[in-house]
Amino acid sequence: MSLSTFATSRRTVLRAAGAGAVALGLAGCKSAVDEKRDQAAPAGSGGAPKRGGTLQIGSISDLTPALLFTQNSLTALHRLVFNTLTGYDPKTLQPQPQLATSWQVAPDGTSVTFQLREGVKFHSGRPFTADDVVWAIQNLKDPKRSAQLRATAAVVSDVSVKSPTELTLRLAHPVSNLFDLFEFMVIADKESVEDAVAGKRIVGTGPFALKSWTPGAGLSFTRNPDYFVPDRPYFDGVEVRIIPQADALLVALRSKQVQLAIGLSGRDVQPVKDDGQFSIRQFDHGSGAVYVGANVSVKPLDDKRVRQAVSFAVNRDRILQQALGGYGLASSTPWPKSSPAYSDATAKRYAYDPARAKALLAEAGAGELSLPLAHLALPSYTVAAQMVQFDLQQVGVKTTLEPLDAAKFQTQLINQTMPALWVGGHGFAQVHPSTLAVSAYPFNEAKNTSKFSDPQYTEIVQKAWNQADADSAAAKAAYQDLSEVLLDRQFVIDLVVLANLYASTSNLQGVTQNLYADTVLDDAYLA
Amino acid sequence: MTTLTAVPASAAVRRPRIRNRYLRGLATPRGVIGLALVGLVLAVGLAAPLLTSYDPDFQTADALVSPGTGDHLWGTDEIGRDLLSRLLYGIRSDVLVVLAAVPIAALVGCGLALLATAHRAADVAVQRLFDLLLSFPGLILGLTVTAIMGVGRGTIIVVIALVETPAFGRLLRGAILVHRDREYAVAARVGGAGPLRLLTRHVLPNAADPVVVHVALAMSVAVILEGAMSFIGIGIRPPEASLGSTLAASRPYLEDHPAYALGPLAVITALVVGLNLIAEALNRGARR
Repeated sequence: MSLSTFATSRRTVLRAAGAGAVALGLAGCKSAVDEKRDQAAPAGSGGAPKRGGTLQIGSISDLTPALLFTQNSLTALHRLVFNTLTGYDPKTLQPQPQLATSWQVAPDGTSVTFQLREGVKFHSGRPFTADDVVWAIQNLKDPKRSAQLRATAAVVSDVSVKSPTELTLRLAHPVSNLFDLFEFMVIADKESVEDAVAGKRIVGTGPFALKSWTPGAGLSFTRNPDYFVPDRPYFDGVEVRIIPQADALLVALRSKQVQLAIGLSGRDVQPVKDDGQFSIRQFDHGSGAVYVGANVSVKPLDDKRVRQAVSFAVNRDRILQQALGGYGLASSTPWPKSSPAYSDATAKRYAYDPARAKALLAEAGAGELSLPLAHLALPSYTVAAQMVQFDLQQVGVKTTLEPLDAAKFQTQLINQTMPALWVGGHGFAQVHPSTLAVSAYPFNEAKNTSKFSDPQYTEIVQKAWNQADADSAAAKAAYQDLSEVLLDRQFVIDLVVLANLYASTSNLQGVTQNLYADTVLDDAYLA
Repeated sequence: MTTLTAVPASAAVRRPRIRNRYLRGLATPRGVIGLALVGLVLAVGLAAPLLTSYDPDFQTADALVSPGTGDHLWGTDEIGRDLLSRLLYGIRSDVLVVLAAVPIAALVGCGLALLATAHRAADVAVQRLFDLLLSFPGLILGLTVTAIMGVGRGTIIVVIALVETPAFGRLLRGAILVHRDREYAVAARVGGAGPLRLLTRHVLPNAADPVVVHVALAMSVAVILEGAMSFIGIGIRPPEASLGSTLAASRPYLEDHPAYALGPLAVITALVVGLNLIAEALNRGARR
């Protein structure tokens, strides 16, 4: 079955059950760039996958159990321990079977019926049933879980369980990003969930079971012998070491103490990028984008011409090359190339043009400006903020940099207390475009960091979100409208769509990630 | 019967060529090398506008250019800024912090020491305050103050002052307690000297030696602390050049562009070694 056929038939009946299809689906989670890299792997990496051994991973971030049901900063956990109902093919954004083997969406988009995989067990030995899916949806609706996809989970108004392997979800209204929820929603063991959010015991159905977690030091996983994909995973275990400093993590990789480093930026990987012993896999989905946010309650940023001037003033290509090591895509829009909202024309709308920026500022009557510019106090963002500052200075906008640590930055982002301008990163553009506009703090039409409110924006977002068929011509037109309104209003000035980087020893094969940047090791092995 | 040997008249009247004992200490090889190192760094910092025509914050498309390539004598950083210019202006930035923070620490520390020696209750309070400040390692104190005051030059000055104040205070307090019970001080008191006169005319000039020596040592600690704070991103606010932040930014490029890191590293080393040599020379001069 070709992918295109697969895409068009999703809305009728999807009968792709069976381990072969699952393996195909799980293995499909890789980008074009990744494939190119894999083909260029050194001799000895080909042939049959090798079974056994323990994979050593170094991660900059540690587990935050309280944020288990959000997009957690530790990516090497969710798809090791858990599964989701479906998983996207990142190239086509079409859902593939995982715990659900098939599904039918009603023509009006107000209900979806799932057939679930039989014989799946949690690591505790308890069988997985439809009740676990019902509980998972209720869990995401709970405000204390702080799940970014809560708005979409809340659209599920009623659930009817027909059998342990079949259930129907009814929706309050059709939404175009329904399968974003099923990609995001991990199926955890409901009986141990309070232990899970306390970090004591995390139980799922995934390829590896969490054996232990030592805060600040690491996590230890063992192979799940009852994993529903036959003969997977290849590794007997996975050890994750928490190494918060990028330099130390790179040293651990270079000395082969770890075979996979997660969380390094394009700047950090410079010393190994041309070294044949290591490979850099870049995923053009599932990471995020660097942007300049504008607080529209601060004059003269209430005038969109001033915000557009900022957008024209910044040299995106230079930021991509110099601050981010060349890994990513310079773009005026938030979307990666795999997004249905992406187009070359919109991505290049704000090409570097200082003269036009000056003209727009003059037109808006904004003379010599002096504004604060906050930024995340991480190396890549600090460099990017300095470049934005320099570019703005060239068009007569003076800024004062205000570095903020990650916790303070996040607090100010959520509480709408950012200064006039800020440089940060956002996610959620890699899935269906409406998810960005109803879930991500900088864009959320109901309440966003910029304090931007516009009836037209709200109307376009709701139209894009309420599409019954995410792949229809009407939905695609709505996504283009969303792009256009974002480009016109420019309360979020996107600069570079980031690539998520996995630096590894070159003999590590088969590592992928899902669209929420969770590491997938189902098919990984050391050649 | 004891035979008295006459001391030659020439020896009795011989006086050192340099009468000031601190200057005498600095005139030793140790002191001269220290002064030369610190003087050289200060001189190039002061002469920065004459030695480079580049604005330290000006960015070009030429990123990570090697030393000696084109117009950039020491190359450029990853966003195309001239490294020599950032090094020279970084010296200015660091020296400004050190010259502001250490005198503040010395003044506050000495003031508290005088207060402590004046009254028993004040002494207890001041000593506990010093204990409290000394219980924090410098960088932990830096992180704490930064959390309250935010990142910037003012924060570094406050941190260095807080780190060094107890050292100045304890040194002067100890010296005053020793000297005020010496015979010359008792004699002055008997001669009618009041507490203020006794302190300013007799005790302080003799008790000041450890403080003077510590000024140089405190400056070397301040250079390290400023570098360390900027290195971990809580120092001088970007884009202003500083030695520590330049060193931190150079880490991903150590192999391909070693000059990026070598510049600030050499300057920090020269300053710290030089200031330590000066402190040692002053100490030896004071003890002669």
